[in-house]
Amino acid sequence: MSAKLETKVSDAWGSETPPQARSADTSGMVQATGSAAESGGWAMPVQAIGLLLVAPALAVVVFLFIVPLISSVTGAFDVGGALSLGNFAKAFELYSGDMLFTLAIVLLSSALIALFSIMIGGYLTLGSNPRAVAILRWIYRWPLFIPFIVVGQILRTFLAKNGLMNNIFIELGLMTPLSAMSFLDWRGIVIAFVWKQTPFVALLLSGAMASIDRSTIEAARNLGANRLRILVEIVLPQVRTTLLVGLILSFVTMMSVLSVPLMINAQSPTMITANMAFRINAYRDYGVANALGLISLLMTSAVAWIYLRQTMREHSR
Amino acid sequence: MKTQLIASMLAAGMLCTPLSAAELTVLTAGDKNMVDYVNEYLGPLFEKENPGTKVRVVGTGPGDAGSQKILERFEAQGKAGVEKWDADVAVVHEKFVGPMVEQKFLEAYRSRIPTGSLVTRANAKIALGTNVDGYVMPMFNSQTALAYNPALVPNPPKTYDEIVEFAKKNPKQFGYNGIKGGASGVSFVMGWIYAYGGGDAQKLMNGPFDPNEAKNWDKAFASLKEFTRNATLTPGNAGTLDMLSRGEIAVGPVWVDMFYSWKANGQLPPEMKLVLPAPGMPGQPMHYVVPAKSANKELAEKFVALATSPKVQAEGIVKRFNWYPGIDAQHVQANLDKETWAKLFTDISPEELAKYGKPFPISPYNSAILEAYERQVGN
Repeated sequence: MSAKLETKVSDAWGSETPPQARSADTSGMVQATGSAAESGGWAMPVQAIGLLLVAPALAVVVFLFIVPLISSVTGAFDVGGALSLGNFAKAFELYSGDMLFTLAIVLLSSALIALFSIMIGGYLTLGSNPRAVAILRWIYRWPLFIPFIVVGQILRTFLAKNGLMNNIFIELGLMTPLSAMSFLDWRGIVIAFVWKQTPFVALLLSGAMASIDRSTIEAARNLGANRLRILVEIVLPQVRTTLLVGLILSFVTMMSVLSVPLMINAQSPTMITANMAFRINAYRDYGVANALGLISLLMTSAVAWIYLRQTMREHSR
Repeated sequence: MKTQLIASMLAAGMLCTPLSAAELTVLTAGDKNMVDYVNEYLGPLFEKENPGTKVRVVGTGPGDAGSQKILERFEAQGKAGVEKWDADVAVVHEKFVGPMVEQKFLEAYRSRIPTGSLVTRANAKIALGTNVDGYVMPMFNSQTALAYNPALVPNPPKTYDEIVEFAKKNPKQFGYNGIKGGASGVSFVMGWIYAYGGGDAQKLMNGPFDPNEAKNWDKAFASLKEFTRNATLTPGNAGTLDMLSRGEIAVGPVWVDMFYSWKANGQLPPEMKLVLPAPGMPGQPMHYVVPAKSANKELAEKFVALATSPKVQAEGIVKRFNWYPGIDAQHVQANLDKETWAKLFTDISPEELAKYGKPFPISPYNSAILEAYERQVGN
């Protein structure tokens, strides 16, 4: 349930994307929010119509998001009908390792996604070989259109000990059959997340990079800066907010993925989502599952707080 | 006016009844093969024998999660006070029929259908400690066993002691899927507790439940943790078979029917074999149940009677899907050629199956063992 909630949360953020990100050409929705805000001083009847127009959306948010969220939160504190912290005690007793594991996996994945999307965005903006840029532009978005479950399925056979990847390495003579090992553990999850989410962040980032003032880049180039230096010192600071937004949205998405840990990671520890599914399917225990959901919600909220603080600071400037 | 109203209502009723009676909704938990079984085989057969009827099948997903969804559906409709539920027949895992009977969601129909007397096995009367006699008809019986690659393991382990020995000598060559990746791993763990739990395994299978029993398991779980270090953890029931076929592991617990189906499809090398180790591993039936608020009870009973007839059990369950029959085997054997029958019992003889094929522990023990595993082995 909370997986659904989190994507909802991310939707809400998406529409709040700050003006800086508007230049990143993220979506038409952002533009619409902007113009609605500007029209604040209009006459009363129009405002009433506006409220009416908002009402269906508001009702959907209340019934499909707020109400389930509240029932999930109260469910987390409910042990046999009484108010108690028992579910949390059990969640921490059994799954504290898994919580740290989840956080570590998602943070590591986010860091790698940042690195790769900066590399992709940077090359698309500063690359000097037009053909290479065109090919990269064409190819990098593909994983965007592949569902997580399919990513899990592909990588499950690709990364196995005697899977396609190791077989290729062995055929090429880069590896002996004895030294082959399976990547179907935490590394597999990180690979799946990075592979799937990098294009998303790169898409946002390259849009933002394309819309910054080219003259700043040209000036740096004229002064003899190499491309890496331009990327790090000129381009990146200007698109920092967009990068942060993309990473936060990815963070929330990765926190809610169940299929990848189920398909790839057979080991323990595993991710919180797998434990939530297990609590429900094996024990019919919604209490601890709700508690785990709330804990993962707290993790994503912490990230959301960083994001909000950041946008507040940008606005106050 | 009044008579007119009644007449029009009657007319409407006459128009509607044949329509609603003609459609039979079957909910089924389990993998896609369960949906296929009804869609491709059982449904058409039933429609042919009952002209004008239509069988609609809804798959609710693999594993316990699928049965859980069916149970929740019944609960929701029960709480809402719905008079006619949207299901006529459901196929659910053994673990879920107990709660369904306790909450009075089911119809006691077995005595009314002609095939009811063909089932005498204990698991059709007691489901994990709950008396369900009369409410269920087993669709099939499934069993877990160890699959192995004879090229790598000429002498497979025949007891749990020998499995431990094997894993010590051949690190990482034994693979199982833990407890979160499907029931074949769960079954291996239950078998481990039956063997090393320190208490009476019969008590775990038949009750009564005693929470203090869990203390006896500490040693067994400590040794299982040690054992798991020498083993490979596989991603799911299918993951074990995958790794076996790629030669990444040499032995692992699997569902017998999956094993045979994969072999028949060429997903598993034909030389792979099965062994059922002593003192035994669990298996479970899947049951046909009829909701108490079904709109087409009579038709539903007819459907289950057909599904559990010796002919369908032979042709559909044994021959097509390599499951062990739900009704007593002697009624099915007469309807099958020797070869098909022998194939089902090539690696595991009927005597071994009778001796080492165990039920799962009763529900509270089942949950207690799983949670103890999470606490002591998984952490």
